[in-house]
Amino acid sequence: MAKTKTLNKRRQSIRSIRKITRTMELISTACYRGAMERAMSAMAYTDRLTNMVRNLANAGAEVTHPLLVGHPETKTVQLLVLSSNRGLCGGYNGAILRRANRRWNELTGNVADALDQKVENPLLDIAGKRGISYFNYRKTKPAQTFTQFEDRPAWDEVEKIANGYLEQYLTGKIDRLEIVYTKFFSMSKQAVVHETLLPLSELGSGDSEKDEAKSNLNVEYDFLPSAESILKEIVPASFKTQLFKCFLDAAISEQIARMVAMKAATENADAMIQTLTMAVNRSRQSQITGELTELIGGVEALK
Amino acid sequence: MEIKCVVVTPEKVVLEKDAEFVALPLYDGEYGIAFNHTPVIGRLGAGELRIRKDGNVDSYYVAGGFVEVLNNNVTLMTSRAVPVDQITKEAAEKALAEASEKPSSTPEETELRDQALMAARAMMRIANR
Repeated sequence: MAKTKTLNKRRQSIRSIRKITRTMELISTACYRGAMERAMSAMAYTDRLTNMVRNLANAGAEVTHPLLVGHPETKTVQLLVLSSNRGLCGGYNGAILRRANRRWNELTGNVADALDQKVENPLLDIAGKRGISYFNYRKTKPAQTFTQFEDRPAWDEVEKIANGYLEQYLTGKIDRLEIVYTKFFSMSKQAVVHETLLPLSELGSGDSEKDEAKSNLNVEYDFLPSAESILKEIVPASFKTQLFKCFLDAAISEQIARMVAMKAATENADAMIQTLTMAVNRSRQSQITGELTELIGGVEALK
Repeated sequence: MEIKCVVVTPEKVVLEKDAEFVALPLYDGEYGIAFNHTPVIGRLGAGELRIRKDGNVDSYYVAGGFVEVLNNNVTLMTSRAVPVDQITKEAAEKALAEASEKPSSTPEETELRDQALMAARAMMRIANR
């Protein structure tokens, strides 16, 4: 009797968990669509920017900008880690933080075979509560933490951070900016990457083959004030969009990771419910059989 | 005889509409664009963007960026574009205060401060109307 009851109770609780995971899956699917749309609109901007850089380059503008030139000595390296605020997204945070921790140890000189990577003054910035608590547990003090980025990073917020880095880089307070985040390649492929954002390696991001066709090679533009001066302005804008894209990629990847994790959880719950249902039925049947034999035995004894 | 005006920010395409005449804030003053304008790439300053169509004028505040004019397409790339009536005096004052608090001990810092001040003053001018 008792056994059937406990089994039933377990089945019921798994049912409600399944309801929750299923809902979370649906929510992250919706968030993913939103994030994807935003990434697409961001693409419209980056594409145009890249196109413009190409037009300027065709006009023969050569650019030297402090952001494109590395500092002679690398003493202060800023590492920015983009993790998520919430868990329940499978291996998403684990993968990022493993990578970030490895890089951080390299920078602080804790890895024996990568001592050449050691720098005098490494700084750590973390976005997302998961990353903050991870490094807190390891007794690593971050320089800055951000928790305001949910599934839709706002340009205004990212721009503030980007401006902060630009100022620090231009005034020599940091010599390099590195970022660890999950890059979005396609719906089925996201990977943790470690990139150097400052000094900038290239202007504008986007595959060149596609843009090549669109650029207007034979148009003669008027440049106001001059091609050089515009290029100079584009450099910081290009950095900001690159950073923004990192945040968008991280947001999309997080939603995909959560979608996959929750889908797996729902499926597991389904399987468990099935086995438990079977167990419940069996135990109920055996209970009934037991009662019947008792009854028959009783009747026989009265004869 | 219409030109197409598109304003994009990194977040979204803010507006996409036809116009007869577009006035935009370049880095050193206002620049007007009518039908069949020569191709131009220019640097924007902070200020007001006006789009005229059938006697109606739409005004937006844009905070710097770039403009490209080609084949009667005007494309503005800016970090921020908001309709003028959403710019309040308080927001402008706040931006101005923030900008004037920035440090200016090195030439680089001074340049950053000047840029922020210019943007804040442009907001102020629009808000004060």
